[in-house]
Amino acid sequence: MIKLENVTKSYSTEVTALRDAGFDIAKAEFVFLVGPSGSGKSTLLRLMNRQEKPEKGSVWVAGRNINEMPDSKVPLLRRNIGNIFQDYKLLSNKTVFENVAFALEVIGRPKHVIRQQVPAVLDLVGLAGKQERFPHQLSGGEQQRVSIARAFVNRPLILLADEPTGNLDPATGEGIMRLLDRINKTGTTVVMATHDQRIVNMMRKRVIQLDRGVIVRDQARGVYE
Amino acid sequence: MFSRISYTFREMWASLRRNFTLTVAAIITASVSLLLFGLTLLIQRGFDNQLSQWSGGVELIVYVQNDATPEQLQLIRDALESQPNVIDVSKLDYLDVDRSLAEAQRLFAGDPETLQLLNRDNIPTQFKVVPNTSTSAEMLTQLSTSWGTLPKVQAVAFPSKQIEVLSTLRSFIGIRLFLITSFLLLSAVLLIWNTIRTAMFARRREIEVMKLVGATNWFIRLPFMLEGLLQGLVGGLLASGAMLLFNANWTSGVRAFPSESGFGAFVVTGSYPSGIVVAIIGLGMLVGAIGSGTAASRFLDV
Repeated sequence: MIKLENVTKSYSTEVTALRDAGFDIAKAEFVFLVGPSGSGKSTLLRLMNRQEKPEKGSVWVAGRNINEMPDSKVPLLRRNIGNIFQDYKLLSNKTVFENVAFALEVIGRPKHVIRQQVPAVLDLVGLAGKQERFPHQLSGGEQQRVSIARAFVNRPLILLADEPTGNLDPATGEGIMRLLDRINKTGTTVVMATHDQRIVNMMRKRVIQLDRGVIVRDQARGVYE
Repeated sequence: MFSRISYTFREMWASLRRNFTLTVAAIITASVSLLLFGLTLLIQRGFDNQLSQWSGGVELIVYVQNDATPEQLQLIRDALESQPNVIDVSKLDYLDVDRSLAEAQRLFAGDPETLQLLNRDNIPTQFKVVPNTSTSAEMLTQLSTSWGTLPKVQAVAFPSKQIEVLSTLRSFIGIRLFLITSFLLLSAVLLIWNTIRTAMFARRREIEVMKLVGATNWFIRLPFMLEGLLQGLVGGLLASGAMLLFNANWTSGVRAFPSESGFGAFVVTGSYPSGIVVAIIGLGMLVGAIGSGTAASRFLDV
């Protein structure tokens, strides 16, 4: 589903974010990217939805080399990739329903589809009955669930999560992980950057460890270390 | 498809309301600059109408000394008739002593002192010459100078000085109004540009989310571009209304001038003002499209 070959990315002559990174992620796999801040986890995620382009190497998503993709095709690529962030990136002036509907609206889905799919996905993430609330009326865990609902409502092939539990207490974080696991079991590939040791050790999934832009470990059913 | 159109217009409207003061400033600047643009066209056209009336419709008068012999008169008449390309020969008219006196009594009715000085023995007779409409003021000036040198010709009266003054005024006012208009239009473009930039900055989080969930750049840009276009359009409509009102006031003002003022043609009527309206609205939309189009492309990378 995702393949990186010899990817090097630097933000300036001094700072090399990634050096010669390569791995292969299969469909429906669940992968943790671990490592300290600045080790290149977020850069990897940004390369996978083409928010960035590498200097060297190639990034393949769903069988296509996305670095050679024309800019006009990038939106179509992103419709197959859901994104989740540490700070949720919800729109504060929209309700829960509107936040999720927004993702369908701006890619031109018709109203009847929106009316059908949004309540279904809110039900899936455990927010049925809260769709008329605004983000500030929700807890952090609930806000992250809205963000997951928004990322998943279009049934993407891949879900990219950047520190999704970073702002949450352990119990709430675990709830979010159970939700991501359920989504993963529907066949969605999940790539999650984190330095939440406890969660990685609890889930026992594949772990790719980065240190200063270099992949130092790639282990199936790994722990944080 | 329908949901996209309704999305685009809803977002455009929301953004206009949120950005109310800047929007108003942009529209006012656009309409003032477009009004000035319209008035420049209107004034130029007024000058043109007046100039063509003076050089095409006016009579040129060749005054002949009272004691000219019939042979000398014939010589003058021949000289005038030898220029059928310049003057309308069929309208060439000779006023002998009797007719000249009669005309003088009419023209100087309010000036008895001048009238007293004129009598059968000193009043000049006159040829009334009507130039062709295509004749330029310059050509008439040359010819009237050469006719002035014919024997027994006392003077050639021709409003060349006024035409010169009017032409100079026309280009003086025209060039300066054009420059002012250009600067104002530029500031309208920049203001619209700035309005759109502010609108996009206010919604940068939304734009970021839109890009991440795969909205196309055109879908994101379109409401902003329409917003700028609408500002230009509203500015153009306001300017058109003001221009038409101005023209109506001016026209009725000129109609009230005394008829012998000679400025009766200094008006613009017919379909020309509607043409200006089309130009103003078109230019307004262009100004809006340039301002918002460049801003929307420039600031999409948030």
